[in-house]
Amino acid sequence: MKKHSLAIVSVLALVGLIVAACAQPTPEVVEVTRVVTETEEVEVTKEVVTEVEVTKEVERIVEVEKELEPVEIVLWTKEGEADGGLQFVQSLADAYTAEHPNVTFEVTNKDVETLREDFLTAGLAGAMPDLLWTVNDHAGPFTDAQLVMATDDLFDLGKYVASARAAVQLGEKTWGVPISNGNHLMLLYNKDLIEEAPADTDEMIEKGLELTTGDQYGLVYNQTEPFWMVPWLGGFQGAVFAPDGKTPTLDTAEMVDTLQFLYDIKYTTPIIPAESDYDGADTLFKEGKAAMIINGDWSLGSYKDVLGDKLGVARIPMVSATEQWPHPYTSGVYFMLPVSLEEASEAKMEAVKGFISFVTNATNQALMVAKLNRLPALEVALDDPLIANDPILKGSADQMTVGTPMPTVSEMRCNWDAMKPEMGAVLADTKAPADAAADMQAAADNCVATLD
Amino acid sequence: MTAVATSVQKQRSWWQRFFKSGREDSPFKRLLIHLALILACMISIYPILRVVSVSLRPNDRLLSTSLAIVPQNATLNAYRTVLVEKEFPVWLWNSLAITAATAVIGVVLAATSAYAFSRWRFPGRGPGLIFLLSTYMIPAPMMMVPIYILSTKLGLTQTYRGLVIAYSVTSVPFSIWMLKGYYDTIPRELEEAALIDGASRLSAFWRIMLPLSTPALAIVFLFSWMGAWSDYLFGRVMIASEKALWTWPLGLRDFQSQFQTQWGMFSAASILVMIPVVALFLYSSKWLISGLTLGAVKG
Amino acid sequence: MQYLTPDVIFNALGEVGSTVLFILLAAVVLELLVYFLWSPLTAFSRVLDRRLRVLGAVPRHAASTILLVGALILVVAMVSPGREPSPLAPYWPVPLLAFVLGSFLSPNLVKVFKPDLRLPYMLLAPAIVGLLLLQVYPLLWELNVSFTNLSPRHFQSPDFVGLVNYIEVFTKPVLKQVHFVPVFLRTLLWTAINLTFHVGGGMVLALLLNRDLRFKGLYRTLLVLPWAIPQVIAVLAWRGEFHYEYGFVNILLRNAGLSALQWLTDPVWNFLGMCLTNIWLGVPFMMVILLGGLQSISGEFYEAAEIDGASPVQQFRHITLPLLQPVLTPAIILGIIWTFTNFNVPFFINQNELETSDTLVTALFRSAFQYFNLGDAAAFAFVNFGILFVLSALYVRASGGLKGATE
Repeated sequence: MKKHSLAIVSVLALVGLIVAACAQPTPEVVEVTRVVTETEEVEVTKEVVTEVEVTKEVERIVEVEKELEPVEIVLWTKEGEADGGLQFVQSLADAYTAEHPNVTFEVTNKDVETLREDFLTAGLAGAMPDLLWTVNDHAGPFTDAQLVMATDDLFDLGKYVASARAAVQLGEKTWGVPISNGNHLMLLYNKDLIEEAPADTDEMIEKGLELTTGDQYGLVYNQTEPFWMVPWLGGFQGAVFAPDGKTPTLDTAEMVDTLQFLYDIKYTTPIIPAESDYDGADTLFKEGKAAMIINGDWSLGSYKDVLGDKLGVARIPMVSATEQWPHPYTSGVYFMLPVSLEEASEAKMEAVKGFISFVTNATNQALMVAKLNRLPALEVALDDPLIANDPILKGSADQMTVGTPMPTVSEMRCNWDAMKPEMGAVLADTKAPADAAADMQAAADNCVATLD
Repeated sequence: MTAVATSVQKQRSWWQRFFKSGREDSPFKRLLIHLALILACMISIYPILRVVSVSLRPNDRLLSTSLAIVPQNATLNAYRTVLVEKEFPVWLWNSLAITAATAVIGVVLAATSAYAFSRWRFPGRGPGLIFLLSTYMIPAPMMMVPIYILSTKLGLTQTYRGLVIAYSVTSVPFSIWMLKGYYDTIPRELEEAALIDGASRLSAFWRIMLPLSTPALAIVFLFSWMGAWSDYLFGRVMIASEKALWTWPLGLRDFQSQFQTQWGMFSAASILVMIPVVALFLYSSKWLISGLTLGAVKG
Repeated sequence: MQYLTPDVIFNALGEVGSTVLFILLAAVVLELLVYFLWSPLTAFSRVLDRRLRVLGAVPRHAASTILLVGALILVVAMVSPGREPSPLAPYWPVPLLAFVLGSFLSPNLVKVFKPDLRLPYMLLAPAIVGLLLLQVYPLLWELNVSFTNLSPRHFQSPDFVGLVNYIEVFTKPVLKQVHFVPVFLRTLLWTAINLTFHVGGGMVLALLLNRDLRFKGLYRTLLVLPWAIPQVIAVLAWRGEFHYEYGFVNILLRNAGLSALQWLTDPVWNFLGMCLTNIWLGVPFMMVILLGGLQSISGEFYEAAEIDGASPVQQFRHITLPLLQPVLTPAIILGIIWTFTNFNVPFFINQNELETSDTLVTALFRSAFQYFNLGDAAAFAFVNFGILFVLSALYVRASGGLKGATE
């Protein structure tokens, strides 16, 4: 008897499980449109006078029905909360939803590395988001894996700044839509400690030596990332790639000069701390213990808060030996469209395109300039008086004019990874610049070989 | 004391006396032990105190040359922001719910499976046990991609369900080994007596084995809990796009941007997250120690 | 913005609760299925065995092994690594058939389907299913990928490359320049140093605490805190402490008159810094386990030994250690595995990505995810697995085995 009841219970349970697993939530689409059409119909019957007006109303209803199909856009953004970026993205999404109530957004922040890894993984699993808001060098791996769409045919890209477009161009096509331009390094200084920015490196070292006492440093910067080294490389007239744009050229005389220069300002004519990462440099500058810092446009907001009028912005000083301005990498932030949009509904594609145009229109670009201290990608927005009148933004824009677009090919990553430890070794005084350059080249070559 | 014993005592050097565990410790020896333990405790908690001090600093300063635990102008602002303005309570609540579910399922699965391993010899038992241990030999990040693909196909992503299943299954191998060791020390005679009296094996398990192994079950509960509580990898893979479901490790990631981190909030959240764990530890520390080894040593 | 309203609380409770119920119910249903199918399967297998005995044991073993191995290989090949499904996917009935035939032919089938084995297999069924999904499937996927060149440039449909990835693990640099053997040796060194101090430190603390002591509970709680704190936070905190200017390690050194050390850029100090952090993290776990073990050793052993004139060292070696072994051996094996595959500590302390501080696991992670070279990474992971397996086996043999645990 017990066995039988057990059997019955288990069969019932099995049936129940199957039913529960198969049950799916009914979509609410139908109901929404029905409600709308009902109100619309009511309005029509009240207001209609002539036949013409009737047909017009009917057409409008049909249009409205089409537009009102609910669309949810899953947006992955690299903007975090720390510099106010995520809040800005969310506010834009909310503003768009206010104007187009049928479009809702699911905004998720993923930091740059996580976003790249997760997007590639999602591509494998077939679960990609609908829109990406990310950095330009993601275009390399994403186009290799054929996971993003070219934007030349979908948007009028001519209205964006050329250098911004250049940073996401690969193989004759553009792979994103620029949102902001810049992301570049510049020289920031504390006017209390140093009245005006040095014009060239000799002056920088001279003033730096005066300012570097036990407690204080002339210059600070993030010594761990090669991103801070490449401007100087440009100043010494070197480049990380050959003209073909994908063969690493790290073992060059210019690289050796650059490494030597960085070594010198640390050991020979010390004006920088013995060890300093991003947080260290940032803290020293905020606490007023560093006269100058080389940092990027993302940090302008917090420095403005702390130093106010005492913050000065200038170009990274000209390299005295070559009389060339350093060329920091410029890139920016971009929209990228995953290929999954090709299979999505027309309404979703329209919503995505609409949002992109909305974010990059003049009003919102000006808003971005004001809130995030970033330079706009829209060409006309550059003329905004907001930029010309703000000495900080003006200085930032000025630095950009001697910047160079950051390479976006996948091989660039090999360069970054090759440069990082070797630069660190030179700065730790454990390797000579010539050896470091040779080792960098070997590492980069090995890495590029594995990419294929 | 016999003559032999006295002479043995005289032969001991100072460090031999130190490490002997006996009841007749001299006050001096006790003092040394206390000092050593205090030193160990300081090493143990100092880094944690530094995290506390970062959370109390007035600006988002991770770094400062002051060694003070309570900094100048200490403020609870970070805690207030984290608790009130961020969704931290939601993350904490999600974590609590998910880890509780994980621990419950982990205990149930492990208790039944370990019983099978302990009380029967069947084909595949030896290789099975070895397989369980070797599941820890593949680094977890490698498994993330296929698990994500599988979960997407099964529709387990962006739900509590997928995460709970993932966490429970990951904790099972270690739990089975622990419980099996414990069961091995419970004499079979007890169950056999029950069987002779007409009980089925399952009811013997329920009425005899389980009550006797409560300490081990508590330990398995704790380990499953700990495994799931601080996990970031599975969470990132399975529920990252559904913010309402975020556990606290996923939430803390929000405090970091490409180059900057909001250290104040990060540290405050870290300290808040430790509190439930420490409380759980304190509450179960008795069971933790007695149960962990009773099984092994008796055998 | 979501606030912790009662709504949210109950919603979460409801969903999680229903998840638990769903999983438990599924487990029960699975177990009942096994339970009820057992007798018919037992009878069937006996009949089959009698009929097939004509073929002889050896041919049956051979045939079933071939069929089962073939089924496994086919399944591995069918898993689709790239974005597009594998071309073999439509042939899924073939390995299924091979599996069924292989199992039926095998003389071992009767050994499995015995009437008194119904209960253990029933109890194991849910765990088996769960592990199949979450351990076996990923392993098979990884195995498949390790024979392909899956990477961003070969993403949609990767090519089969045979053993190339495995060979390259040993011949090509892991990431930039360092080859496999140095990284492997460094990982061994890392494991050895950490484990020595974990066990040593844990033993010392356990011995100290194994007596009637005032404040014993307080000491135990404070000493266990490094285990209680989430590992990532602890590691990031330690990385802050190794900072040249602001970390307290250098501040203490300076106050003591010594020169500050470049913990994050110098290869030697970075490695030592990693070890220090991991030791701080791992000692409490060992201490707890050893303390439990010590507490279970009866004092009578020691009293008897003293009367016989044994020194404390002899007591330790001949009483404490042997009696601790059932506890110590599994703990050390797990310690080896967990330290060898520890990712958080080497990864976060090595912020500057010094190749000299990479262990096998962090190198693997960087190669896998920074470049998404999943084919290479998979091969690397299996080589790693093989090494760890051999290491553990060696340790088990050397220490006298797991005392009948797997008999």
